[in-house]
Amino acid sequence: MSKKKYIGFTCAYTPLQILDAAGFTPYRILPIGDPPDRAGQILHDNLCPNIKRILDRALDRDVPPLEGMVFVNSCDAMRRLADAWRRIRPRDRVFLIDLPVTTEEHSISFLKDEIARLTGTLGEWSGNEIATDDIEKSIKKYNRLAALITELNEKFSSNNMTCSRKEIQAIFNRAVTEPIDSSIEFISNFITENDKRSNESDAVPVYIFGNVLPDPEIFSFFESCGAKIVSDDLCTGSRMIPPVDISEDNSPFYSMAKSLLMRTPCLRTMDNSKPHRFGEDIVQRAKARKVSGMIGHTVKFCDPYLLRLPAIRETALKEELPILLLEGDCTMRSIGQHRTRIEAFIEMLR
Amino acid sequence: MQQYFENIINGIEKTIREDPAAASPRKKFALEISKLGRDLYAGRRPVAWCGIVAPFEILNAMDITSCFVEFIGAMLSSTGAVATFLEGAEQSGFGTDGCSYHRSVLGAAEKGIMPKPEVLIGTTCPCTGGIAVIENLAKIFNKETFILHIPQDESSENVRFLAGLIKDMVEFVELRTGIKLNRNRFLEAIENSNRMRNILGEVYEMARKVPSPFNGKELNNFGIVMSLFLGTKRGIEIAETYRREFSRRIESGHCGVPGEKIRLMWIQNRVQFKNSIVQMLEKEYNAAIVIDELNSITWQPIDPDDPYTGIARRSLSIPFNGPVTRRIDHLKKLCELYKVDGAINPNNWGCRQGAGSRGLIEEGLKEIGVPVLNLEVDCIDSRNFAEGQIRTRLEAFMEMLENKRS
Amino acid sequence: MYYLGIDIGSLSCDAVLIDHSERIIASSVVPTGARNREAIERVTEDVLRSAGISHEDITSIVSTGYGRNRVEKRDSAVTEITCHGRGVMAQKDGIDLLIDIGGQDSKAILFDENGAIKDFAMNDKCAAGTGRFLEAMARVLQVDINEISRLDAGAKGSVTLSSMCTVFAESEVVSLIAEGIEVNEIVRGLNKAIASRTVSMVKRLARNTSELSAAMSGGVARNSGVVRAISEAMGCGIFVPPEPDTIGALGAALIAKEKSKKMSA
Ligand code: SF4
Ligand code: SF4
Repeated sequence: MSKKKYIGFTCAYTPLQILDAAGFTPYRILPIGDPPDRAGQILHDNLCPNIKRILDRALDRDVPPLEGMVFVNSCDAMRRLADAWRRIRPRDRVFLIDLPVTTEEHSISFLKDEIARLTGTLGEWSGNEIATDDIEKSIKKYNRLAALITELNEKFSSNNMTCSRKEIQAIFNRAVTEPIDSSIEFISNFITENDKRSNESDAVPVYIFGNVLPDPEIFSFFESCGAKIVSDDLCTGSRMIPPVDISEDNSPFYSMAKSLLMRTPCLRTMDNSKPHRFGEDIVQRAKARKVSGMIGHTVKFCDPYLLRLPAIRETALKEELPILLLEGDCTMRSIGQHRTRIEAFIEMLR
Repeated sequence: MQQYFENIINGIEKTIREDPAAASPRKKFALEISKLGRDLYAGRRPVAWCGIVAPFEILNAMDITSCFVEFIGAMLSSTGAVATFLEGAEQSGFGTDGCSYHRSVLGAAEKGIMPKPEVLIGTTCPCTGGIAVIENLAKIFNKETFILHIPQDESSENVRFLAGLIKDMVEFVELRTGIKLNRNRFLEAIENSNRMRNILGEVYEMARKVPSPFNGKELNNFGIVMSLFLGTKRGIEIAETYRREFSRRIESGHCGVPGEKIRLMWIQNRVQFKNSIVQMLEKEYNAAIVIDELNSITWQPIDPDDPYTGIARRSLSIPFNGPVTRRIDHLKKLCELYKVDGAINPNNWGCRQGAGSRGLIEEGLKEIGVPVLNLEVDCIDSRNFAEGQIRTRLEAFMEMLENKRS
Repeated sequence: MYYLGIDIGSLSCDAVLIDHSERIIASSVVPTGARNREAIERVTEDVLRSAGISHEDITSIVSTGYGRNRVEKRDSAVTEITCHGRGVMAQKDGIDLLIDIGGQDSKAILFDENGAIKDFAMNDKCAAGTGRFLEAMARVLQVDINEISRLDAGAKGSVTLSSMCTVFAESEVVSLIAEGIEVNEIVRGLNKAIASRTVSMVKRLARNTSELSAAMSGGVARNSGVVRAISEAMGCGIFVPPEPDTIGALGAALIAKEKSKKMSA
């Protein structure tokens, strides 16, 4: 196989299928490692640690050689990140997908055009026009990956996997940084290897939701506090690769746009007809997993979540599902400061 | 609240009646804002809570009292009443890292002092927080929302998309309020909007004069609030008052800040609560704030034969939209037009959109030799305002600018 | 049979020894200091000595507080939230809210009708509203920290501090002194500031505070001025147990007894 040509991306709303169809390997720049400390000078310290850490990684050249970057206009912070990227790496090619915040028809159609525009641009970057056939093939591959991730999740949450959530997180992280074919392969192997009933433990079943939380160690930490993370709603977790439903009569672009907007959402997306529906849905999904409680972990300064957590909390309390809200910067150090809170929460659930 | 606005209105009207010479443009502006405030609370006409770049000319043509939500935050702050609402929002779980324009609005809505809207229209520009506030209000008031997705650039496809979306919005509003957009009223509103635009353009142009004909308070919060009057006669009247007064001043050689030495640009919005920044700048350093970022006409007159396109273009044209380079270009242009020596960026705490570009703006303006003072304040919450520290920074900045000039 | 609870906080290390009938046999409070192992040994020796028993007589030890995992002889470690909850329940029936203000942090715990913890909130990031805040202010006012509790007597409540942050509040207090404001008024202002921080935290758990049956623990609970200010701000009475600083350790001892009963059952 030829040398991998990477395109960096930063948001789970990125249509990876197009990147793959264009012959690139999508590489998610995850906010992993040290707490961010320099990005604030280029932008401002009040931006979320996801954005700041990604920018720090760019400043440190802690990313593979990139053929370009694809950003998504998912929130103010992400837009500022794209601005800062252009400034600190002026030679990188940059594309910003304009992502609508609502899910109705006109938004889908707008996003469809954006995906088409992206396809055109990536064709230019790769030097080859991207064929519809290739896109359809990529969609199939990503659907396979999404299905595997779902399988892995389901098995893990029903105690039919002998691995830890930490190992699963490491798998997730690989899946968004390695070529799709190898991701499919190692996840299938992983599932086969660990496909056994796990031992009973007295850990308390908990559902976790929030935005970015990619450090595998953090999941061991939750376990050390007595929690078993049964399932998650995290954009670096089980909702990072949404499947695409292909409808016969619609173009792949339309199908992709629709699936992206209708996917298990990040709270930056909203439903016009029912305010806070997406937040309330999280509580319902948690309940469906029969957990004893839910933990919300969000990074600091994240506007989409900051302004929606109260509604989620209220719903959880109404549904009598205990909830603990934590804030941090996705590093072990910051989550470590919450040990007492988490342990007290678990004691309360026992 | 309604009474509060009535009192201001009566007060201003009385002053003007007793002494017509006191009818300054700023008084007229304050009067009309208070009337808008009164209308919001009077409950006579349906209310629309909106995002900042909503098509106010259309809503005004439909006789819907419409306003962006942040207005309430600014008002609560300027009256010194904001603390309880911020506390209320915090107790409801809205973390203090968010923009306090928004938190105060949420606190106010929960305490029942936000007028009940008939419709909620969010705009994705300028900020993510604004949309989330609209969603929260929808929950509190049990209303549906309409979100105007403001695309990132002004390509013709984007303009067409937004124009179509605004049309859908009209339908949405008609359905929810039972009020039809009357064709003639609409045309009239477009004409008014264009007239106001043109007069404001003249006002802003006069403001370029050296020394500046007005002082640092007269055009404070001006451009952004004037958009609420788009399409109305009131808007034209306010703009006229300013034009008249400014041309008179220019003729008579009046200078807004006597002995003007330093010319400053204010980035984004002002500090909304009572503070002594402007006074100190003017009295101690003869420094005039000659231009605010949003006091500028960034759009073309709207073609009455194709109004939606023109309105869409206007919404897209706000400098906060799109990549920060666009905004920096706008700021650079203002610096040149207004012969600015230095800029002040408050970096409202919690504003990802604006404060989030702090470093890039500073660097951009440095390229044209305009230094920026980053204040790092919360423009709404006076509780964290450390006057002494702010003063020291302002003084140091002024000394630096003075040295640069000499 | 004896049960020992050790609460090792950042400022003080407390121990409570109870017997099989849950009677408090001995208790001790020592400063934690830099080496917490020594503090743990000291409080343990203290209570053993005053009870006149030896190590072998202790059936079970539960540790709590931020240093709970450093207590080597523990049978288990339980968080201070659970321990404070358990401790205060033993002191009075029908409590539905406990406010604990320690040296470094503060917390509010909400109970359901059976006395089980329903929800809690913690403030461990900001010094405002903790013992540390009061200490800093006592220093600025040049009064003894143990005296500050009585100093608001006779104040009319004319001073309101606008700053929430310790650093800003410090300079505000300095300027109030410079303006010649009476010390009792300043202290009342400080108490009100702590109260408003605390009530903010409580309201995140319970919007309506006036109907709560509340209790307070932690060192600051000995400060009657602060307790009064919180009680006024919440609009309800506040029960303060006789030994408010050892509630956590008491809870730990009670949990130690329950746990060992479960084990043997
Ligand atoms: S959605 Fe939140 S976490 Fe994600 S980039 Fe935006 S602010 Fe950061
Ligand atoms: S200050 Fe920033 S975050 Fe706040 S309303 Fe304005 S643009 Fe939005």
